[in-house]
Amino acid sequence: MITRRILMAAGAALMAGSLFAGVVQAADKPPVRIGAILPLSGAGAFDGQLAAEGMEAMASIINKKGGILDGRMIELVKYDDKGVPEEAVSAAKRAIEQDKVDAIVGGWFSAVALSLKEETRDKMLTIMTSSQHPKVTEEGHKYNFRLNATSTMNSNTYSKFICDKMGLKTIAFITINDDYGRLEAQNYEKLLGECGIKTLGNEYYNRNDTDFTTALTKIRALKPDAIYVSAINTSQGATIYRQIRQVGYKGTIIASAGNMNPKLVELSGPALEGVYSVSLFAPDSDNPVLQEWIAEYKSQFSNEPAFIGSLGAQAVQLLADAMNKVGDSRDYDKIAAALKDGAQETLLGTFEFDDKGQALQQAYLIRVVDGKITSVKD
Amino acid sequence: MRQPLPLMSGHMDFVVLGQQIVNGLVNGMAYVLIATGLTLIFGVLRIVNFAHGEFYMLGAFITYYIITLMGVDYIWAAAIATVVVAGLGILANVLFFWPLRKEHEFTILLSSLGLALLLTNGGEVIFGADPKYIPSPFSEEIVELGDIFVTQQRVLVFGVGVVVLVALYYFIKNSTMGKMMRATAQNPEGAALTGINIRKVHAVTFLLACGLAALAGALVGPTAMIFPTVGSWAVLKGFIVVIMGGLGSIPGALVGGLLLGVIESLGGGYISLGFAEAIGYAIIIVVLLWRPQGLFGVARKA
Repeated sequence: MITRRILMAAGAALMAGSLFAGVVQAADKPPVRIGAILPLSGAGAFDGQLAAEGMEAMASIINKKGGILDGRMIELVKYDDKGVPEEAVSAAKRAIEQDKVDAIVGGWFSAVALSLKEETRDKMLTIMTSSQHPKVTEEGHKYNFRLNATSTMNSNTYSKFICDKMGLKTIAFITINDDYGRLEAQNYEKLLGECGIKTLGNEYYNRNDTDFTTALTKIRALKPDAIYVSAINTSQGATIYRQIRQVGYKGTIIASAGNMNPKLVELSGPALEGVYSVSLFAPDSDNPVLQEWIAEYKSQFSNEPAFIGSLGAQAVQLLADAMNKVGDSRDYDKIAAALKDGAQETLLGTFEFDDKGQALQQAYLIRVVDGKITSVKD
Repeated sequence: MRQPLPLMSGHMDFVVLGQQIVNGLVNGMAYVLIATGLTLIFGVLRIVNFAHGEFYMLGAFITYYIITLMGVDYIWAAAIATVVVAGLGILANVLFFWPLRKEHEFTILLSSLGLALLLTNGGEVIFGADPKYIPSPFSEEIVELGDIFVTQQRVLVFGVGVVVLVALYYFIKNSTMGKMMRATAQNPEGAALTGINIRKVHAVTFLLACGLAALAGALVGPTAMIFPTVGSWAVLKGFIVVIMGGLGSIPGALVGGLLLGVIESLGGGYISLGFAEAIGYAIIIVVLLWRPQGLFGVARKA
């Protein structure tokens, strides 16, 4: 009996102590809470993991330097959207109503971003990340921003390079059968056609296909100078690149813009060697913020830092800077104005937002050389 | 917008056709390996095993880890993974199926569904969500048969498939255990009365079925990327084949699997890839309407 009472008393004392400590700390400086809505399970789970790690690394860098707004720490509150629009909407509800976050970062896939922005429209500062669909920023939402280039912006940049530098006469496409893939095929067929590169064929594959030899056999028979591969998911992408070589095709491979990452390079092996792509993220850039982020990332996580993670980091960095500038974490009119106010320095270089919140970022031409993603310098 | 296929010379047409048939036969043999285990468990034990695809997934992942962590050759790794997963099959039987043998079929079905979810989600936790590639030395080596190109890995899938099926056929036909399995398939109570050790028959059936699934995973794994949810793809293909060939029929699984592979490949090659995906479901509907017992199945009294 006695020991039990002592134990209980000790427990109560401990609890009171920790509660008290908690209160003191919280009263001191409440954290700035950023709701991160990402795919942490399901097919996009690996991409979501990379994104979360990128955000964590940037938050650590800022917190180590004393946080923002005179000593408030950045706290990430993560929600799993499973890559599904409905889940993202309910996560946003929880973030806004229960957890009272200061801002939301999300929208890694276009379908999710399109629903998410309706939930947060005009009431919550929202930074959309890797989604590429033009409509994510085109439908009026005064606190909505998007970091990635749209697929149309990417194809304009990339097609110029393909026309000028690659010396092709014919091309064939293998693209994913969804809004993004169809838009890609349409854009490139038109843009490359204008500079005299003839499209010989286009094969659409499905989201769950695991074998592409049938489509690639068909494409090989057309004998194009190059095959353009539009694959948004690492696992299918790597299989396609490998199988292009396995069906005996020896011509040029072109990788779609914005979908190159170290894991893809590792999984594709020699098939990706020498292949070009376009990215906002050049890991060999000497930008000091980027190098600091890469170092912090590698000290915390075992994955290689990837484009998707750098976008998450950029979102955290932009929010921190804008809140600092305004001196408040919830005055969204002022923060939105600060974000749109001219050029900003970030880990991905200098860029600005247009009036609709679409980022106009610098795109780099990249190439896989000796198994590493390197930027192509002219 | 889309350009029509340019007219090709007759020879080229023929080569593409040949290539698509070869692609289809190889994919088909993978389906056969997956479906044989599924049909075996159903045929002998009357169990519909939804977790079958997960044993395919485990075969692929264990092969991957044996190669990358222990530095063992691909062939040995595949063999070890097959044996390990065959052992896990016995364990799954002891824990999830044997205790329920007298329960209603639905109970067993739900148990297998639970096992499938457990293995998939467990796989995501343990193996991680990132896709992986099984480094096989045969994946990049191309065999040229005239103008038709096949990787050595795909030749291996087909060759091993043939050998294993022949061996399985003779095992079931001639060995004592095979005879015991056939007796159990015909009438479990009768078999038990004649002194057949039903418990052992259960164990051996799971051993063979899960071993086959794992072997399929180890062989087909290097032709694409592997990830923890790959099992749901495998079990789906397996079911299409089994329904096509007849539940419980091994020759049915062989013909059904090869047929599905070739139909998918020709459908995808000459109509569209979207069609290739849909065709499996279309086959299920047609078979269930016109020949519910499958191509090789024997109509059973209810």
